[in-house]
Amino acid sequence: MEVLAYQGLIGLSSAMYLWLISAGLTIIFGVLGVLNFAHGSLFMLGAYLGYTLYGLAGFPFGLAVAASVGAVALLGAAVERGLLRPLYGLDPSYQLLLTFGLVLFLDDLAKLVWGGVFRIPPIPGWLQGAVVAFGRPFPHYNLFLMGVGLLVALGLWLAFDRTWWGRAVRATASDREMASALGIRTPAVFSSVFFLGSGLAALGGALSIPVRPVSPGVGAAMIVQAFIITVIGGLGNLRGAFVGSLLVGVLSSYGTLWFPEFELFFIFAIMAGVLLVRPQGLFGP
Amino acid sequence: MASGPHADYGRQIEMGAQLAIEEINAAGGILGCRLEMRFMDDENRPAVGVRNARFLVTEWGAHFLYGTDSSGVAMALGPVLRELDRIQFFTHAATHRLTEELVAQQKIKQIVRVSAPVYQDAVAAWLFRDRRDVRRWATIGADYEYGYATWAIFREQMRRLRPDVEFVGAAWAPFLTTDFSPHIAAVMATNPDGIIATPWAGEAVTLLRQALLQGVFDRIKVWFQAMGGSVDVLEGISPEVKEGRFQGKLYATARYLHNWPNTETNRSFVSRFAKRWNRMPNYSAETTYSAVYITKAAVEKARSLQTDRVIAALQGMRIETPAGLRVFRSEDHQFVYAVPAGKVVWDPRYPIAVLGELKVFDPKDYWRWPPFRPLELSK
Repeated sequence: MEVLAYQGLIGLSSAMYLWLISAGLTIIFGVLGVLNFAHGSLFMLGAYLGYTLYGLAGFPFGLAVAASVGAVALLGAAVERGLLRPLYGLDPSYQLLLTFGLVLFLDDLAKLVWGGVFRIPPIPGWLQGAVVAFGRPFPHYNLFLMGVGLLVALGLWLAFDRTWWGRAVRATASDREMASALGIRTPAVFSSVFFLGSGLAALGGALSIPVRPVSPGVGAAMIVQAFIITVIGGLGNLRGAFVGSLLVGVLSSYGTLWFPEFELFFIFAIMAGVLLVRPQGLFGP
Repeated sequence: MASGPHADYGRQIEMGAQLAIEEINAAGGILGCRLEMRFMDDENRPAVGVRNARFLVTEWGAHFLYGTDSSGVAMALGPVLRELDRIQFFTHAATHRLTEELVAQQKIKQIVRVSAPVYQDAVAAWLFRDRRDVRRWATIGADYEYGYATWAIFREQMRRLRPDVEFVGAAWAPFLTTDFSPHIAAVMATNPDGIIATPWAGEAVTLLRQALLQGVFDRIKVWFQAMGGSVDVLEGISPEVKEGRFQGKLYATARYLHNWPNTETNRSFVSRFAKRWNRMPNYSAETTYSAVYITKAAVEKARSLQTDRVIAALQGMRIETPAGLRVFRSEDHQFVYAVPAGKVVWDPRYPIAVLGELKVFDPKDYWRWPPFRPLELSK
């Protein structure tokens, strides 16, 4: 019983981490209709900036994370404004090409700046150690991730549900023309959403550096999982991404315990299972 | 492989080859001919590796090929090498099938392997043979052939040496796993005394970091990180080793260790390499460096570039290399040499963590030898 509970707890912390990454992806898709391949690269950039500020320059971990999130969010907004905006009127395949091109560009840029070798800084002192859960040590770091994940969920819910900005975003998402006719500055809404989504990618990346080395192309592994989760949850649906992350995180964790032979297959089995019952995803329209 | 999280192995292959070529050219080349190299990234994809090989041989005019990190790419290259009739010296890909199946069985003579194959991981059984307190073994394995092969040969050797041990748990992590915490939790639920882990490169660093966080080293007696003696892994875990966080329980091996053997050949190679590249040489650098010198010896003996003549010149070859004496095994074109295993320690003489308390075993004891019985792979 304790084994099961502990494995579930580990799964929950994995889930919260997956949530951080898939939230940004699904928000951008939900509002802008852009499938942002470069999300993984923004994740990587957040990790590299976090590593540089915390691991090399010696800033406190929290400050390094905040600064990386801010910088990548600004970069995201700039990309939306400078590169994506001219493509909105064109066929969506141009957006895919552009974001995919960004992946290649940012990966190579990372290689030039930080080299091809992976980097990993020491764990911040306050994240070392563990609490005892179900008779076994449960790392502070995992606990911290769960906390951040829940805070982000709460923050996003408040922002979308309780603020004027959130209403503007939802209005824009459901009908772009009507929203702008009502006086909402939709271009500004788009930029702000990209700012937010990119910041979330960077948050996942920067928070990961104490336990996951960063290297060029590291975003590629993350983006596949994030895509699967958004598909499970229903593309563009934030609640879906949250539930999808929980499903994938917790079920995979139990899968590793019970059916280690089928490890590779879990996440796809979950996706297939969900899509068979609900082709539009759990919370899809 | 020169892109992605495992790119450093490709980079080290390039650095090793480059150094050998510069040295050989400075000393007058091979039979008076200067060497040239063209380096290509296979992106860890068999189709790209095959395309590169065809391009290098038919367009660029390569006489010999070197490298290849992934076993999957290596297995795809095998038949193509026969068709192109060019020898490739494999300097990292570790699957036993490359030499046992493609060379010994299918007679693809164009395959030669200079690096120690997956057999090397069986050294763990010998290393812990006398640890009577380590009875319960589990694996956190790479979820592909390399991980299965290691677990299979380790268990085979261990059963022979220590009939009292039990194999209690296994968790399998696919390529590019970044979150090992479910695997660690699942394996620790089986209360192992020892863990043998096969994720490599950055994944090994990730795994060890996450194992430390889950307090694994307070509860186990030994952890064998198979390719943990790789320079990039040692660089990645250096801070924790320095602080003693692994409590002297972390052991590893590799396909070459820069601090062994203590011979003039090796010391001089390491210092030249470090001077040229400002890094310590990893195994893929040494194996490729040695492969170029093996080519030189073979071509000078054969006085020809023809595959048959060069292969004939390789027969019976015993050659002193930085990793020590390498002996050509004619049945499967595998160079045999010993690599020690040891404890991961901090030694102030080196800029990064190293393997210490090294134990060397005879490959006669722990490698697989012809005639090869098929290895039963199971998870």
